[in-house]
Amino acid sequence: MTRIFTLLILASAALLIASGAFAEAPAGVHGLAPMPEDRKVPLKWLPPGAFDPDSGPSDGIFPAQRITLRFNHARHVNKTVGATCKTCHAAAYRSTSAADHLVPDGTVCDACHSTDHTDAAHVKPGDDENGQCVYCHLGYKQGDGNAVSELQLPRANLLFSHKAHGGRNIGCPQCHGAVEALELATRDQLPRMRGCFHCHQMPDPASRGDAHSACDTCHLRGDRTREGSEGPTTNDTVLRGTVIRTMFASGTLSPPRWLHNAEHTPDFISRHKWVAADDSAFCANCHKEDFCTDCHDGRVRPRTIHPNDYLNMHAIEARMATQRCSSCHREQSFCLECHMRVGVAEASPPSARDSGRFHPPKSIWSDPPRKPGNHAYEAERNLGACVSCHTERDCVVCHGARGVGGGFDPHKNGFVGGCATQFRRNPRPCFVCHEARGSDTMLAKCR
Amino acid sequence: MIASRENWLQKRPTLGLGLGAALLVVAPNAYALDVEVTSDDAAQFYDVRSPTGETVLSRRRLLGTLGVSAYDLLDAPPGDPRAPNLSLRARLRYDADYGASGATVDPASYDSFVPGFSRGPVDLMYAYVEGRRFLKGWLGFRLGRQYVTDALGWWSFDGAEASLTTPYFAKLEAYGGFEQRGGLPVSTPRFERDGIWRGNRSTYDPTVRDLYPSFQPASVAPAYGVALESTGVTWIHGRLTYRRVYNTGASNVTEFASALYAPAQYNGWRISSERIGYAVDANWPEVGGAKGGIVYDVYLGQVTQAYASLDAYVGTRVTLSADYDYYVPSFDADSIWNFFAAEPMNDVGLRANVDISKRLTVAGGGHARIFDVQTSAFDPGVALASYSPSPNYNPAATYFPTNGHPLDGGGNLSARWAKGATTLGLRGAGDFGQEGDRTGADVSGEHVFETRYVLGGRAGVWQWDDRIRADRATTSFNYVATVGYLFAPRSKARVEWEHDINSLVGQRFRIMFWFSVAVTK
Repeated sequence: MTRIFTLLILASAALLIASGAFAEAPAGVHGLAPMPEDRKVPLKWLPPGAFDPDSGPSDGIFPAQRITLRFNHARHVNKTVGATCKTCHAAAYRSTSAADHLVPDGTVCDACHSTDHTDAAHVKPGDDENGQCVYCHLGYKQGDGNAVSELQLPRANLLFSHKAHGGRNIGCPQCHGAVEALELATRDQLPRMRGCFHCHQMPDPASRGDAHSACDTCHLRGDRTREGSEGPTTNDTVLRGTVIRTMFASGTLSPPRWLHNAEHTPDFISRHKWVAADDSAFCANCHKEDFCTDCHDGRVRPRTIHPNDYLNMHAIEARMATQRCSSCHREQSFCLECHMRVGVAEASPPSARDSGRFHPPKSIWSDPPRKPGNHAYEAERNLGACVSCHTERDCVVCHGARGVGGGFDPHKNGFVGGCATQFRRNPRPCFVCHEARGSDTMLAKCR
Repeated sequence: MIASRENWLQKRPTLGLGLGAALLVVAPNAYALDVEVTSDDAAQFYDVRSPTGETVLSRRRLLGTLGVSAYDLLDAPPGDPRAPNLSLRARLRYDADYGASGATVDPASYDSFVPGFSRGPVDLMYAYVEGRRFLKGWLGFRLGRQYVTDALGWWSFDGAEASLTTPYFAKLEAYGGFEQRGGLPVSTPRFERDGIWRGNRSTYDPTVRDLYPSFQPASVAPAYGVALESTGVTWIHGRLTYRRVYNTGASNVTEFASALYAPAQYNGWRISSERIGYAVDANWPEVGGAKGGIVYDVYLGQVTQAYASLDAYVGTRVTLSADYDYYVPSFDADSIWNFFAAEPMNDVGLRANVDISKRLTVAGGGHARIFDVQTSAFDPGVALASYSPSPNYNPAATYFPTNGHPLDGGGNLSARWAKGATTLGLRGAGDFGQEGDRTGADVSGEHVFETRYVLGGRAGVWQWDDRIRADRATTSFNYVATVGYLFAPRSKARVEWEHDINSLVGQRFRIMFWFSVAVTK
């Protein structure tokens, strides 16, 4: 009989639990995740600037946290309890540094939970269930000597003053979203940079209270720190250098795609030119000149750009113009000099020249009719390839006007119509092929 | 002859900056002045064979740079990013090829002499004092050798730049000085406009001078520019830029020693380049972005570059892009090649980038490059009754292709995976056209053990087929093995072994040693 009675009680309890009658029960039911049953937080409750789906705040700026507390914001910030953000986070209203610890001490909880956190070494639990250590401290075990798991909330790698923002009447939800609607507030409620840009759109000389958009308004400067390589720990004095710090133990900063379309994708190396051409100062927020010169004025072949046996491959790539050689190399110095040394240029010293012919046979290369493979066709198509090997003299031999060279006209159709302007501003190239004081009627048309 | 008198700094490549660095490092620690001295050195050893098969150059190269930086010269209060800031940055470079013989730089050795070549050039890459946010954020400036990067490309000059940033979302910038030119002391030709072979020939004796008329003497090049750009707002940015550079001094115009016609030299101020550029980008985070730019060459009177790129954000992980790029070769105004019938190239491309996860990103796309060539017979544009007929009018030479738009095409695929101290990369490409084909891929990886030991590698197979020179077609296998040691923050030593295997070179090896040091105070 007793067994049957016990079974009936257990079955009833199970039914009650299943029906939600114990939804308000303490252990493991709420306060462990932002939403009940670990549901996804609606976009409208995430910090402004979050996307849907949201990937959370930057790992580099906001390192991973270890939250060892169970807490339900929604239950505290309501008419019944009457708490506001300031009730627990009063320190935030005075904080001027992102290094400040803004999670309340246990003493803040004491008034309602009948606990006593005055002496952290001898915390006294309350009489009720919600005053027991295990009620809030996850993993707490009786007999562990009053020990609770450490709450790990690393500082944000930012310059930030809550006080300044509060002073501008910027409410908590404007950066943190609707925390009051959530149970546990996690790292996901930390700000998104896109949300900062709702206000931070002002140039440097704007008034002091305005939200400036310069990167180092918020980002830490200095590609190193005084304290060590792991980044700032307790203060914001690491403000050296002219670039912002992008490497942190928790992650590396890189522009999101919506900022100057500058996401550093795997093919960014072939697309960065458009970002730099528009706003090189934006690049200079993170990169010093050395970073750029390593390739753009480089003397050691970057394999990410020039792979494999590029010494032998480069000729075909130059003719195909797969990459614009002149982005990094000056053809009449870098290319020509090496081509002369290796004997491939017409101006090469005699000892470097060899018996081979670089170009196709004369019948294709220079005899009419012109067609693919003929030098005129190739020059029209990609003149830079010619300039990387030849000096002026090589061309003037044939293209100099009669009396100077062979008289083959290299000009574009309709050239004479616009040459007077160029002649007036710099006649030097004209004199290379045309007799300056003679009867060259072509030159006379351009004077 | 090249005189024995060389530039003082060329004899002592690192002494100048070294002294400066030492002075800064031992300066009294009155305030929080930050000084940083960096040195990067790379030694490499490999051989180069002439593409015609015979010549072999032994490259024994040593690259050394020495950099000095000093930040916060005004001792700004910590924590105030709005405070005026003064800093200094300089970097000197020594780039030697010990594999070159002495005859290569001796004008008397006509058989081997390469005009303009130097076995150990030294250049001052940059050296400037920079001020930011003076006059409550209105004024910024730079003094010294510095770079300018915008729609007109990468450029370097010695001089001064000042910028006025207003609270009205506009910034005005003006600069002036002398363009950095090869052949001048501690300078490189990298930043002057192309199309002129130029260098230091001031010390050649007359007989040598006549032998290399195409090699033009270097002279100072006065330059100035202005720019107007938006500032503050982050969703749109545009920069309008204008720059003018002058050529000065004498320039050889007669290419043959026995020329009958004058002038043999042209001397005087003249335009080197004058261009206007504009670039803009705009973004709508949920939708996409756009970039565009254009460069107008005032001297030539034509648009020489233009580009546009549209990005569409499909969800939070996929970006689709359509790109267009227009380019016409253009040169220094001293160059004859501005007036050759160079036609434009037009590139159109489609690509996609997919952030598969936080660790793995893949990007790929395809493109077509449309070249232009002349399809009609020569027509100078005016009647030239008295002009000596060009041999081009020879009936046999007046054949032109009917298709003036030869087309190349290709595609690429790249990927990156990163987790902790491990990175893996893939880069593959295929390009196909009238000139030939090039196809291949590289995989690379690097892992840092215990925050200091670096192990890396790269391997790839590429095949290229040269339609104009069929004997240059080959399939090439290459691998690189790297070990390194990070002995201090931003300081490391690294050794690389590279091995190429293909029918053109047989087996070629390249050994590289890297050594980078950063010392801070």
